[in-house]
Amino acid sequence: MKLFFTRGVLCMLTACLVVQQQPLLGSPAGASDEQMAGLGKTIYDARCTPCHGSTGKGDGPNAALLNPRPRNFTSGIFKFRSTETGSIPSDDDLTAAIKNGLHGTAMPDWGPFIKGDSLKAVVSYLKTFSPRFQNEKPHPTHVSSAIPSSQASIAAGKKVYAKLQCADCHGNDGTGAGLVAADFKDNWDFDIDAADLTQPWTFRGGSTARDIYLRFKTGVDGTPMPSYVGSASDKEMWDLANYVVSLGRKPAWKMNEQEIKEFYAKLDAQNKANPVQRGKYLVRTIGCAGCHSSYTEDLGIIEGTQFSGGLTFDLYPFGKFTTKNLTSDKETGLGNWTDQEIKRAFTQGIARDGRKFLPFPMPWTAFASLKEDDQNAIVAYLRTIPAVSRKIPDPEKPNIFAYLWGKFRVLILKEQIPSPAYPMRAVENQEKPVSANTSPTSPNLASLGGEGKEVRP
Amino acid sequence: MKKILKRVAIVVVCVGVVGFLAFLYLIPPFDLLPREAFINPHTAAVAASLQKIDDPVERALAERGQYIMSYSDCSDCHTPQGAQGPNWDEFLAGGAKFETRRSGTVHPSNLTPDKETGFSGVSDEDIKRVLTSGVNQDGRIIEPTTMPWISFSNMTEEDREALIVYLRHIKPVWHKVPEWSANRTGSLYLFYPYDFAEHQKSK
Repeated sequence: MKLFFTRGVLCMLTACLVVQQQPLLGSPAGASDEQMAGLGKTIYDARCTPCHGSTGKGDGPNAALLNPRPRNFTSGIFKFRSTETGSIPSDDDLTAAIKNGLHGTAMPDWGPFIKGDSLKAVVSYLKTFSPRFQNEKPHPTHVSSAIPSSQASIAAGKKVYAKLQCADCHGNDGTGAGLVAADFKDNWDFDIDAADLTQPWTFRGGSTARDIYLRFKTGVDGTPMPSYVGSASDKEMWDLANYVVSLGRKPAWKMNEQEIKEFYAKLDAQNKANPVQRGKYLVRTIGCAGCHSSYTEDLGIIEGTQFSGGLTFDLYPFGKFTTKNLTSDKETGLGNWTDQEIKRAFTQGIARDGRKFLPFPMPWTAFASLKEDDQNAIVAYLRTIPAVSRKIPDPEKPNIFAYLWGKFRVLILKEQIPSPAYPMRAVENQEKPVSANTSPTSPNLASLGGEGKEVRP
Repeated sequence: MKKILKRVAIVVVCVGVVGFLAFLYLIPPFDLLPREAFINPHTAAVAASLQKIDDPVERALAERGQYIMSYSDCSDCHTPQGAQGPNWDEFLAGGAKFETRRSGTVHPSNLTPDKETGFSGVSDEDIKRVLTSGVNQDGRIIEPTTMPWISFSNMTEEDREALIVYLRHIKPVWHKVPEWSANRTGSLYLFYPYDFAEHQKSK
């Protein structure tokens, strides 16, 4: 008790000291370079490392499930700039990205939380990750005077859209469903999608004609979207920008009764026609891979283990349950399951062999509300996940005394059932956490019980 | 005679104890705690109450939002847990206690539009920011392994909007959820590596 009290007091004292130091670090008058660098690092470590990683490689613990991935600062390549293609971004570009966020991604608007000197400090700290910022200077692109939107300009823009073959990636209607749009990769070998030009609220770099004009001018570095300087004139780019603005549709929340009805009907029909795409969306938003993956010590998913299972939940008194391999591997995954068996498992909680799941941690009670089409879509997408051979141990009961005592408490004494098993505790309780340092790009699956190796429970 | 009675009694007690233990061992846990207790019985009633929304666009969005909420499983954590499974009468009124080593004790918030304890005072923008980036109203980042915002960040803006419209129209429930306990002792900064006292300055 005494020890606990002493510790508490110590903690509070330290906390007070830390809190009191912040204004000193951030004081605008005469903050030295060293202090600014310290402030930048402190804020970066607190706010940015969860996704961008402490070394700025875009590999923080939260990175593995984000689409698009967090930016890798060490390459010095940035997508949304006001500088020529291939050039580093200006300070203002970086500031704007932090302050306003990037729409349609997990990057929030930090404006309300990081201000003034703190913002400057973070920007200068970001620039230390790549040597390009020391060796090069940003080359701002020249923005010519805008051509106001008009019928003529939009019609001219439509011709430019055809001439520059925008439809190959973005589709004839601009929905991002062009012929070659299926499997795009960025410079870091991550999947990316061609922008859906009909949803301007998702444009990362902004949705005004000027913002769109800038994308043609500067290109989106690190992706297949090139700069069109040289292949189109400035006038053509403004016309095209006006045309792209005109492609934007109304978002659902601004529609009227008739429009929203038609919109949802169309959406449902589209989803039915593209089950794999719909399934991918559902699986990503539900976050199946959040549990059906293996984790590192710093609570990040090990790259490459997504969907192959391996996270163990200790649900006293029911036993230990390890998440299953959802990949299409025939031996250890879902390869040999029929569509019906997969659907029964995630909507009714009944395993292939007829065993019944607990109502947690696998939330099949929630997935029971999925519509038939959506269930089929999820199965269709799960079938496309590349096979990973990884044997998952069977559920394990605790020793007989603990099992009986636990059941007595839960079933007879009616004590509180274990709170819904959330991944946090499972991740924290891993018996042998895998070190984050073992090459994150090519996981050593053997050490995780992969490559067909038997795992001892 | 007494001796025999005593022996019989001992045998009966032994058989009783062994039988009870065998019963405990063999009975599947959910014969006494039915699996159905984990499925919301009020879904249809909530759907009917959404029909009463006057604005047809909001009604369409809220219906969509209900579907998204139900398969996204918000209620698993945000509905209070009782001895017999979730307490469905306090649907989405903030729930279970999560004890984590790293972020301290976390209590999922009350998502109902209750004026005092719920979400009615929280702006759409703040809710959206939590759903896409896990950034709380005060600038802290929520652990994605407790609140899976990483998955929800993949939602389309239209689905997110529908979800919020739905949350604005469900039954308000007064249910005060305790604060994030690590915050109160000031140890959050020390034990929660993502946090930073910066927001105190920005206020």
